[in-house]
Amino acid sequence: MSTEHAERNGRRLGRDDFLKLGAATVGTGVLAACGAEGAPEPSAGGQTGQQVEERPPIEQEPGDLEVFEWAGYEYPAYGGKNGVLKPYVDQRGKPKFTFLTSDDQALGKVRAGYRPDMVHPCVDYIGNWVEMGVVQPWDTSLITNFADLEEPLVTGGQVDGQQYFIPADWGFSSPLYRADEVEPEGGEDSWTLFYDDRYEGKISWWDSPLENFVIWGYVNGVADPWDMSDEELDEARDFLMSKKHLCRNFWSSQTDLDADIAAGNIWIAYAWAGSYVAAKDAGLDVVYSEPKEGRLGWNCGFVLMADTENFRHAHEFVDTWSSTESAEWIINNYAYGHANTSVNLANVPEDYVAVFHLDDPEARQEPNAHYAVPVSTERRTAYAQRWDEVKAS
Amino acid sequence: MAVEARKIEATAPAPGTAARPRAGLVTTTLLAPPLLWLGVFFLVPVVLIFLYSVNVFAFFPGTQAFTLDAWKNFLDGSPFLDLFWKSIWMSLLVSVVAVVAAYPIAYYIALIASKRKYVLLLLILAPFLVSYFLRLLAWRVILGDQGPINSLLYETGIRDEGDPVRMLYTQWAVILTLIYVYIPFVALPIFASLEALDRRLLEAASDLGASRWQAFRKVTLPLSLPGVIAAFIFVFIPTIGEYFTPVVVGGVEGTMFGNAIADQFGQSLNWLNGSVLSFFLLVVVAVLMSIFARFLTVRRVATG
Repeated sequence: MSTEHAERNGRRLGRDDFLKLGAATVGTGVLAACGAEGAPEPSAGGQTGQQVEERPPIEQEPGDLEVFEWAGYEYPAYGGKNGVLKPYVDQRGKPKFTFLTSDDQALGKVRAGYRPDMVHPCVDYIGNWVEMGVVQPWDTSLITNFADLEEPLVTGGQVDGQQYFIPADWGFSSPLYRADEVEPEGGEDSWTLFYDDRYEGKISWWDSPLENFVIWGYVNGVADPWDMSDEELDEARDFLMSKKHLCRNFWSSQTDLDADIAAGNIWIAYAWAGSYVAAKDAGLDVVYSEPKEGRLGWNCGFVLMADTENFRHAHEFVDTWSSTESAEWIINNYAYGHANTSVNLANVPEDYVAVFHLDDPEARQEPNAHYAVPVSTERRTAYAQRWDEVKAS
Repeated sequence: MAVEARKIEATAPAPGTAARPRAGLVTTTLLAPPLLWLGVFFLVPVVLIFLYSVNVFAFFPGTQAFTLDAWKNFLDGSPFLDLFWKSIWMSLLVSVVAVVAAYPIAYYIALIASKRKYVLLLLILAPFLVSYFLRLLAWRVILGDQGPINSLLYETGIRDEGDPVRMLYTQWAVILTLIYVYIPFVALPIFASLEALDRRLLEAASDLGASRWQAFRKVTLPLSLPGVIAAFIFVFIPTIGEYFTPVVVGGVEGTMFGNAIADQFGQSLNWLNGSVLSFFLLVVVAVLMSIFARFLTVRRVATG
């Protein structure tokens, strides 16, 4: 159903985008006229109390917090009235959720003028967000749970010494497959399952400009899959074009993918932990594989838009997100990791702990897993252009 | 027959000849808002898209200098151009099948079902009571590997379980769904033209010894042709740029040109290329429209 949400939101956003784009165009003119005074200076301010004092008290904020979020976190049991985010929702009301389907799509929408209060991108895109000049640093003194967050993830969210990103969830990306229908070549898990001719029409890659090339890179042992040359990308593109007929679709909404797996349309997919949980819940015999080339990994969190009028609301929301209760719910329901380190893993299903190595930080490190790293806008464009060609071919 | 048809047509007042005097001010006042609307929300954006496509205008900071590179890349054997022709082919197929399928329906309602005419017409429009997205989702269930069609094939032993006919996420799923969606749209203009048909012509045809088939071929069909062509355009033009149906039921091979455009403006952030694709689509549609319009008048002259 989240697709339906997305569709509805998409339509509504279409109109809002337009209005906001107009407003932004006018705003840019005004800013330019005001000179440096009006423009936020990224090097100034930061997590000092000074910035907070200038902010109006929370009661004077509009309070209509708009969160540009991955589908699934608005789910009533989590983001709803009596959900895990209840401490926030009870006091401040339910935030408005709009949905992103990939980091690139989110960047694209914001670039086109969409202005929510906060966004949930992944850490490897932080540079792009800061570069675009649309986000501001968080005031970590307003986030009581901040001290519980995992240190390396916290420092990973800093740009120029400022906390632009509050880490929230992390996890793996790996091939998920139906154990009762699929027999990996040679009995060994590998990403090459995505290119296995025996399963034509039963495979689904993720519709994302970067990852399909990165996977090809790891399979073929290129020097740096996250920074491939044009020649390498061309070779990867031609290969992907020759294999795309094996795919049933390129999925963009996890809810859709889960429905397709449950309906038996898809046997092999690029998947996050949430799809494993959904397939298990649907009673399917699935494996979340450990490819010999290593799983991919991701860490996402929150950025605060520079022109938000809900500065304190956003901080309170992130604070609730960062709580132990929230972390436990996310681990138990989606099997994702959470930045909060105070979770008692005894309360988590053993299966999840084992499959996703929730108790083993080393499983998240090279060479066991390849966490997404920042990619320059120029390289990202080169990847994206070729992915579009694969899709159009 | 054709001569008769022309005579009867000629008795109707030609459009635009009524009430000329003092019309100037009223016409201007009435036309100004829609013209302004079209200007601001259609013409200006089209010009902006064109300027964007040659890199002399952009919403975002960057170097702007006139260049045709994006156009050259597109026209020089890019996969996007192939995708465009594929989309044209799909739209053509959808339009022709939808028109052929809708014609008998419109014919029945307009000429045969005299009393229940409007009830039937409402029935045809009934699917519009359900949201477009829900109807697409229903197709996704119907065409799925475990859907009713494949289940029936398993039950009857025509296909082995686990060896479904692959229908969902194919080009054919898109074509089928689009035909289903557009049949009501297509039936309406055909119905309107058949409804306006002067029955006396059919009586005359029959008096002169024409068989029913001859009467249909020489009277009904030519006179309903404007409706048929309008119906064809109703389907063909919007389906070339179709975006949402391929997203829901198209999968990898059902992708259409509209999806490529959406990607360029969305996750690829390549507005330059996106503008080229959009403007190209616009130009081709405009050219096709003018050809259709010409065809329409030529047919009229020929049969009239």
